[in-house]
Amino acid sequence: MLVASLALVGFAAAFVPLMVRYLGRFTGYPLAVVFLISAALLLVESPEVMRGETIVQSWQWVAAFDVQFTLRLNGLSLLFAMLVLGVGALVLSYAPQYLDPSYEVGRLYTVFTLFGAAMLGVVLSGDLILLLVFWEITSLSSFLLVAGSGKGGTWPAIRALVITGLGGLALFGAVVVLAVRTQTTNIAEVFMLAPERLTATELTIVAILIMLAAFTKSAQVPFHFWLPGAMVAVTPVSAYLHAATLVKAGIYLLLLMSPLFLAFPAWNITLLAFGLATAVFGAFEALRQRDLKALLAYSTVSQLGTMVALIGVGTSAALAAAALLVAAHALFKATLFMLVGIVDREAGSRDLNQLSGLWRAMPITAALTGLAAMSMAGVPPLVGFVAKEEAFYSFLNLPQSAWAQGQAWAGAAAAAIAVIGAALTFAYSARIFFGAFFGPLTQRNLYEPSWLFLAPAFVPAIAGLVLGIWPGLLNGIIDRTTVDVGFTMVGSDLSLWHGLSIALGLSAIAITLGLILHFRRRWVLRFLGEEPPVPSGPIIFDRIWFALVRLGANVGRPAHSTSVGVHLFGVGVFIVALTAIGLAIIPGALGGLNPVIPDAMQPVDFAVLALLIPTVVFLTRARTTITALVLAGFVGLIIAVWLLLLGAPDVALTLLLVEFLTVVVAAPVLARLPRHRDIGRPTLAAISAVVVGVISGLAVWAFTGRRGPSDLSAYFLTQAEDLTGGTNVVNTILVDFRGLDTLGEITVLFAAALGLLAATAVTLRARQDAMAEVLGRGEQTILRVGSRVVIPLLVIAAAVLFWRGHDEPGGGFIAGLVAGAAVAVATISGMKVKLPSSGVLLAVGLGTALASAFIGPLTGASALAPVKIDVPIVGSLTSSLIFDLGVLLIVVGLVRVALERLDGMDIDDQDELEDESRDVNRSGVAS
Amino acid sequence: MTLAIAVALLTGVGTFLIVRGGAVRLILGFILLGHAANLIIIAAGGTFRREAPLVDGGAVLDTMADPLPQAFVLTAIVITFGVTVYLLSLVARTAKQASKVDSRDEASGEAHDD
Repeated sequence: MLVASLALVGFAAAFVPLMVRYLGRFTGYPLAVVFLISAALLLVESPEVMRGETIVQSWQWVAAFDVQFTLRLNGLSLLFAMLVLGVGALVLSYAPQYLDPSYEVGRLYTVFTLFGAAMLGVVLSGDLILLLVFWEITSLSSFLLVAGSGKGGTWPAIRALVITGLGGLALFGAVVVLAVRTQTTNIAEVFMLAPERLTATELTIVAILIMLAAFTKSAQVPFHFWLPGAMVAVTPVSAYLHAATLVKAGIYLLLLMSPLFLAFPAWNITLLAFGLATAVFGAFEALRQRDLKALLAYSTVSQLGTMVALIGVGTSAALAAAALLVAAHALFKATLFMLVGIVDREAGSRDLNQLSGLWRAMPITAALTGLAAMSMAGVPPLVGFVAKEEAFYSFLNLPQSAWAQGQAWAGAAAAAIAVIGAALTFAYSARIFFGAFFGPLTQRNLYEPSWLFLAPAFVPAIAGLVLGIWPGLLNGIIDRTTVDVGFTMVGSDLSLWHGLSIALGLSAIAITLGLILHFRRRWVLRFLGEEPPVPSGPIIFDRIWFALVRLGANVGRPAHSTSVGVHLFGVGVFIVALTAIGLAIIPGALGGLNPVIPDAMQPVDFAVLALLIPTVVFLTRARTTITALVLAGFVGLIIAVWLLLLGAPDVALTLLLVEFLTVVVAAPVLARLPRHRDIGRPTLAAISAVVVGVISGLAVWAFTGRRGPSDLSAYFLTQAEDLTGGTNVVNTILVDFRGLDTLGEITVLFAAALGLLAATAVTLRARQDAMAEVLGRGEQTILRVGSRVVIPLLVIAAAVLFWRGHDEPGGGFIAGLVAGAAVAVATISGMKVKLPSSGVLLAVGLGTALASAFIGPLTGASALAPVKIDVPIVGSLTSSLIFDLGVLLIVVGLVRVALERLDGMDIDDQDELEDESRDVNRSGVAS
Repeated sequence: MTLAIAVALLTGVGTFLIVRGGAVRLILGFILLGHAANLIIIAAGGTFRREAPLVDGGAVLDTMADPLPQAFVLTAIVITFGVTVYLLSLVARTAKQASKVDSRDEASGEAHDD
């Protein structure tokens, strides 16, 4: 049932866009039902959990790292899961009434539901890696929801993401240390093995990282500031993520990890110190706020601080109190956020200085706010009171803990600080209620909202009252949670009335102090002032942020040059330095080489060189662009001949065709370019040419031709025919042995063609005109006649080369180039070519190659593995022929794109044409 | 040795053309460097066996050329073509913009003369 519960919410997120199309903002209702069903699926298991079982479901996930997809349900995760799903359902049924009809709800509901699934995943994870993944998804969805709130949401969202992302990295670090040391990522096993496998230092590192993760996520000082900033998000998001659930993930993590650190005083002291500081600081800040949402945000910071401090106390009673406070807080804080949203919608403001006397117009809203605020203030008979009593009791009994034995003053000090926090909490709770709802009613036309709007707030407000009167209802789950965090069953006895105890006395003091603060609020507010005494978090964050951005800009400045020379210079210096160092530090570097194999040089090579050297030298002296281009083509031709002599007919054929196509494609572009000016420095060019040339030549001489055939070459030559059925080994390497490489390479071609399609927009007509300009009309006519013979021949050649490619020189690349040559001839001669558009050729090509990759898996082999297919009449074929067809289509597509789009005329001309026509229109209107 | 000389020549002249500057030289230099790289890969397989690796009738290990560098070079050539085409489009675009800036300068200069 665990996986069903999680999968249900996850799949619901996928269907949100569809639901929104029909239901709009009312999509919240079916989603609320989904959350409730998911909760019910977990509750089915709860009797077993309450009996002390832990339900575990596990699947193999990342086999290479032995990571399992493990879900588990114990008391701790059941408590949190119920909050995640219960509060989620309430807020989802609140959102449709709150949201403006014009609000873009698709994104909100999708990310909201996705967050719900991720949060459920965090609390159900039985594996550290899984926990980490879900943890990060919660941070990302929070970012999306805050950033998506429109105006002013971007910066708070970035701050929140960076701060919580920092925590995510810390958690990652902790997970790595634990996993490396215990050789497992299963949480239960980690807990068993960690105490003996980790040294004290390693355990300290883990503790620090875990605390960093929890403090950032749960908004502890000094990382708290992202939470008030996140209040720019819409109220349902604030109520769910930034009050009830997301910020509790840190608390969950601390509770989960507690068993590791039961005998670790540094853990306890740090949590206690940061927690209490946050509790008091947050309460002070809350009291200062005028905006109700900001007030509630700081109040959340304060309450989270109390929870962290309780976990720090580290006794079973304290952890039970923390768990109880988590539940109580979720109930009253979600209620308060929803009610503040209602007030905002109805009265048009959240500013305490503008709101007044609302209870006269909205008595039920006022009553519910009163209930929730009383629970927050810790007034009996609400659940918040019970939680606060338990907290006081735990702080007082701090000296009984394993780590602070007998230090009586510590208990008294912690309790005293907690009382100050509680008094401030009482004061700001009273301020919400009396500030907004009492005094004279200043606005007209205010009404109670519909019951549909109020119901989602009504449920948790009443639940807070019921659980306050009968807190024993929670005994079972709190007990079970205490066991899960490392203690033996103590038997919780929660009740509203414990008799006259010190905790009750502290409650009385806190409430009295709170009343004094409330009645002297003018004086208190003047004392607090508008701004906190220290620079605010966002300002410090932004200073660090922009300093980092400036640092990055300075580091990257050299790479911003548009000059090719600047970029090449670094590479060149690196190569030269590497060579120099190599020659210097390796003794006898060149003397120790193997002897050159005798037959490596043959007389014919010198003939080739005799042709190559003058051609290349002439190339540098060429006066016109066309001459240079022809000479470059001639260089290619010489090398192609050489390749043929070296026993590489496939490569030679490919190079020949590419040379031809390059000239066809480049001629019109280069011909239109202005004559190149001498902008570079000839001396520098000559020096770098000599250095680079000598080093490359030396490297080739030193490192090649000094060993016999490689094992790999022998393998391919002897196995190709048996394994693939092809006798052209080069082709079998391309389509069979290294098919994945080739797939990557044709994807590069695909991308280059797409880049051309995107950067240029030219018709074939314009292209042919450009070509005619280069050639002259007369030559074109001759070509057109000749092409009627040449084109069919080329097409037939392409078909033959493609068909025989597996066995003899040919194959997809070569056939594609020959077919491309046919297209080129047609284009040059001005014939109309009836072919699918180049986009279609490219897409079908890549699709065919990809599809052929799956033929293997269908028959049980691996992807791209050649499969023999028996075709009637033709005989047996292999699936790699289909792959090769994809290659062919992509090459033809690329050639076609290049022919169509490259004539030196680009998109700017189109813009100009449009500009001109617009000008004409405008002047027409003016006259 | 012959391949080493060819590679030295092609990389040297390719570098010269690129560092010298100018759109056309950039493209030509790039093409020459591409040839050099391909020859290096072929050289890595050894040039002492020069028979095409077509194994119809059985592989002859002593005389047949290493097929793996050939496969690498074959795809590299086609990719070089793709990149050259893309470079050409960029060059065409840059040159056009540059000439536009020039003509604008001239136009504004004339306006001042008036």
